[in-house]
Amino acid sequence: MEQPSLNRTEQLQEQLKIVKVESPWRIAIRRFAKNRLALIGLIILFLMFVLCFLGPVFSPYELNQTSVKNKNLAPSAEYWLGTDKLGRDVLLRVMLAGRISLTVGLVATAISVVIGATLGAVAGFYRRFADTLIMRIADIFLALPTLPILITLGAILSDLKIEPSKRIYFLMLIIGILGWVGLARLVRSQILTLREQEFMQATEALGLRDSRKIFRHLMPNTIPIIIVSATLGVAGAILTESALSFLGLGVVPPTPSWGNMINAANNLIDFRKRPWIWIPPGVCILVTVTAINLIGDGLRDALDPKMKSR
Amino acid sequence: MKKRLSLMLVTLMAFGSILAACGGGEEAASTDTTTPTETATDTTTPDETATEETGTDSESAIGFTEATDVATNNDVALARTDSAIIGTVAPQGVFNPLFHQTSYDYYVDYLVFPSLTKVKTDGTYENDLADDIKISDDNKTYTFHIRDDANYSDGTPVTASDYLFALKIYLDSSYDGQADPLSWNIVGGKEYNEGTATDISGVKVIDDKTVEVTVSDYDAMTQVNLGGVTPLSEAYYGKDYKQGDVSSIKAFNGKPMGAGPYKVTKYTAGQEVDFEANEGYYDGAPKIPKLIYKVTTDTTNLAMLQAGETDLDNITVNEDNVEELKATGFLDVDILKNNGYGYVAMNNNNPLFSDVKVRQALTYGLNRAEVVEAAYGPYAEVINIPQSDVSWAYTDENIDPYDYDVEKAKSLLDEAGWVEGADGIREKDGKKFEVNFSATADNPVVDALIPIMTENYEQLGIKLVVETLDFNAIMEKKDKGDYDMFFAAWGLTPDPDSTVYITDGAQNNSGYSNPEVDALYAKGKKELDINERKKIYAEAYQKINADAPEILMYQRTNMLAINGRLDGWDISPYKDFPLSLHQVEIAE
Amino acid sequence: MSQYIIRRLLQMIPTLIGISIIVFAISQMVPGDYITASQNPNMTAERADQLRALYGLDLPPVQQYFIWAKNMLVGNLGDSFQHKMPVTEVINTYVWNSFVIAFATLILSWVIAAFVGVFSAQFQYSFFDKVVTLLVFLLMSLPSFFIGLLAIKYFALDTKLLPTGGMTTAGLNASGFEYLKDVGLHMIMPVAVMTTLSVGGLTRYFRTGMLEVIRQDYIRTARAKGLKERTVIFKHAFRNALLPAITLLGFELPGLFGGAMILERVFNWPGIGQIYLASLNLRDYPLMLGFTMFLAVLTLLGNLISDILYGVADPRIRLK
Repeated sequence: MEQPSLNRTEQLQEQLKIVKVESPWRIAIRRFAKNRLALIGLIILFLMFVLCFLGPVFSPYELNQTSVKNKNLAPSAEYWLGTDKLGRDVLLRVMLAGRISLTVGLVATAISVVIGATLGAVAGFYRRFADTLIMRIADIFLALPTLPILITLGAILSDLKIEPSKRIYFLMLIIGILGWVGLARLVRSQILTLREQEFMQATEALGLRDSRKIFRHLMPNTIPIIIVSATLGVAGAILTESALSFLGLGVVPPTPSWGNMINAANNLIDFRKRPWIWIPPGVCILVTVTAINLIGDGLRDALDPKMKSR
Repeated sequence: MKKRLSLMLVTLMAFGSILAACGGGEEAASTDTTTPTETATDTTTPDETATEETGTDSESAIGFTEATDVATNNDVALARTDSAIIGTVAPQGVFNPLFHQTSYDYYVDYLVFPSLTKVKTDGTYENDLADDIKISDDNKTYTFHIRDDANYSDGTPVTASDYLFALKIYLDSSYDGQADPLSWNIVGGKEYNEGTATDISGVKVIDDKTVEVTVSDYDAMTQVNLGGVTPLSEAYYGKDYKQGDVSSIKAFNGKPMGAGPYKVTKYTAGQEVDFEANEGYYDGAPKIPKLIYKVTTDTTNLAMLQAGETDLDNITVNEDNVEELKATGFLDVDILKNNGYGYVAMNNNNPLFSDVKVRQALTYGLNRAEVVEAAYGPYAEVINIPQSDVSWAYTDENIDPYDYDVEKAKSLLDEAGWVEGADGIREKDGKKFEVNFSATADNPVVDALIPIMTENYEQLGIKLVVETLDFNAIMEKKDKGDYDMFFAAWGLTPDPDSTVYITDGAQNNSGYSNPEVDALYAKGKKELDINERKKIYAEAYQKINADAPEILMYQRTNMLAINGRLDGWDISPYKDFPLSLHQVEIAE
Repeated sequence: MSQYIIRRLLQMIPTLIGISIIVFAISQMVPGDYITASQNPNMTAERADQLRALYGLDLPPVQQYFIWAKNMLVGNLGDSFQHKMPVTEVINTYVWNSFVIAFATLILSWVIAAFVGVFSAQFQYSFFDKVVTLLVFLLMSLPSFFIGLLAIKYFALDTKLLPTGGMTTAGLNASGFEYLKDVGLHMIMPVAVMTTLSVGGLTRYFRTGMLEVIRQDYIRTARAKGLKERTVIFKHAFRNALLPAITLLGFELPGLFGGAMILERVFNWPGIGQIYLASLNLRDYPLMLGFTMFLAVLTLLGNLISDILYGVADPRIRLK
């Protein structure tokens, strides 16, 4: 507003740069860096990580230090976020929980996005046999009852005497593997239309390799939907983790996670009388999901081939 | 979307297990009078959550608290002048005492199907449908006389042949209910079961109201088992019954008909069961003409009581809930000892735990009082023998309370040859003392137990590796013998007979074996005199206490909240509320 | 097209066989069976064996599978162990209760999500868009039972506008309109909460779909032609933004009958969700397997329908 002249120069510079022919990745990075909201998201997420991974170091309390006489205390100078029903410091727990939840949320989602997007794209692009095969497998995955499978896996891990503390890796893998189907079908449906569009005829004419067609030309167009799916997935994975813990697949109870902290407040009385039990983990999930979404929106704008300006 | 769906499935699990466990296990155990054995039900965790949180310690916390100010009663409740609404977990619709599986179906059957005898508040039995029971000198022949005024709700009399008919269903080869009728040793029962006889030779119908049952072998449970049978109207149920196929009987599960104080007028699955008084009930027509069992859940059952939408419900026992309920002023609060106990099992066959000193050390070295306090506050108590302290068989004479004592635990471990290694972990013959511990999650006890136990045992120089698992997965590890320690709970039947601590007993989870205990249990089962039995079981409990085959943890409580407008209850840990419903009246 | 449909229907056969084998295998691997899970207090080893024989649980798994599969072909899913009645009857008793609220939720959430998504896209980064976005994330950050409790607290306990739960008022002996009114009143809260929960994700998909389309050349052309904005958005853009939505719609079909387990419990709604869950926990295999297969068929049909709808929505897609 204030200095239209400056804006003009910027625009000019930008046009000049385009003339210089930048690689698409550089364009994307530059676009992203200019997206203020996306940067804020990135910073918030970074701060969450710092808080969760470094914060506990400064806490005067210990994880397994229970003290029944201090149970259910409201926030105070001593316990900034109060204590839970075993008298444990909520602040410390929420920070430690973040280590688990952030990791699980991001890694599990990444796994399901990679599998889902790749398989979806391959199915949509090749159609016929590949499509039939992949989509029928997807059908089977959708139709299988999740819970009995998880119970069985939990029992198997236990029988194999896998260290409970290592089971978190299996947990991420399992949530990731369970989650790919939805995205695969979404990506496939997009690719089905995209491959009939004119620009694909151009790639055909240019004689590009299939992998190049899929990953360079088709996939970028599905980025928006992938991002929506991923942001929804992070929240889902964080909340799911706590449920899987019950089955011997996740963290063991004294180890906190945002999911199991929020699940601990499962009655009306906690709800009304002790908001400090559930608000902190709830807010952490909210902030994380929002930050990831801001980053996602920024990424989408940065990677979207249809966005010509900015 | 689907993804979310499947994830939800999982989340549910937490809740789900609550339901299931409740349904199947502990509850049924504690109420089923027909059962010979003790039980182990475990239920574990989930169930506990459903029903409770309990407390310990101060006796004053447990017991009956009368409504303080009935005048504040809710108009919604007061408007029901001829009916009462009882909140309950959903029954499964199996309304037949031979087949029901959950205590919620049982709640319905209590009102519709009386049996020959019924349990009293102290856990012993008295006559109900029967007005006379004669036992032969050899204790093998039981003659029951059914009350002359006992009629079904359709007006037809309850007869001796209906009793025989019920026994035939029990002994049918296709019978798949909870009872184990072959273990009652009725003469000719096995032949009927196998189809080689069309009648049960040991059961004689003497006249319309008299039946004589002969058993090949007797024990203390024989009379309880035979008296626990509910005569089924053969005219109503038996039309299409053929030996070897009870499906025609099960077809009536949704339309029960019995001689009890109430009759079912309507059942809507998952929602409610409606009852109407059976005016011809032999013990006098019930004082409340209409009853409704309404399905509630523990998320809102307390709020519904407060709002007057229900008159009675089981509420999870914890300090918050007790406080809320008492604050209303118009609710009676009855906190009852639960017939059961929680324990940490140790695999006695595992070299780690084969030494009694180690087992004792692990008991001394665990601060059980703190765990119980953290989990249940004043509403549960640490126990030291596997019996409810309200049972006639309970004793605290010569029982070691195993008070928390780190030094004693350490010295016991030293004596057993486990010495501290360089890393602070005890070892013996080059083997580290490392224990795998499995527990179900989402249980107030486990939440408190795991951190405290880990810390306590670390002090002793023992490394505890904890995992949380699905309940059935833990039970399977137990069955395979592939475990070190796990947490579970047993339900108790009113009779102290049990197979939990006898060598290779059906419910023996820990592999514990002590010939002396075996002999005492066998003797107790065969003895019919209650005073003699008391002594026998006291001795058995003392031995078990000394052997510490498992770490006994706590006995929790259950809580009934009842609108103050209903009076005349006779409720105890053994006698569930439906058993006195027919004498309850609405106060003016 | 009809050829395509026939081929897909034929493909369902091997897929279903595959699913049935896997599902059955899982049921065999899950720890425990009905006998152990029911935790009967007086169960002796002999009695357990008798019951297993009675239920056919003692047969070799392969034989059990074929018996089960054969019965299924003639529509017999067996008897539920815990309910002691045919599985089809159990499902029939509870599934419609679930369907009623799921269907109402489906209609409401799709209508709302379509409108909100479209406006949110049209006015991207506006105040409205930001509020909607934040709200969506807020709802996603809390477990569903939590939102259910919140609703109960405000609408049932505090203001007493709505019943706390259940499907009918206890002791109500009404029929016809009175009955429908009562059920309708009880439905409001569960449907509202379920809608709130599912509308969030859907809105995001609609918004993204619209954002994509709005930027495309033909929309610019349409606007340039001077068409009314409403026509541009709803007639031209919306149709093309539907594609992802169609995929999601396919997933809704099994959801209609699957039951919402957590919320059914919170609202005490007598649906199939809790029944299914109990069947799992009690290892009531006939019920668990029967219901799983029922949902499997619906899942396959749902995906088939969405594949067919792609072709209708975008004629460029050639399904082969």
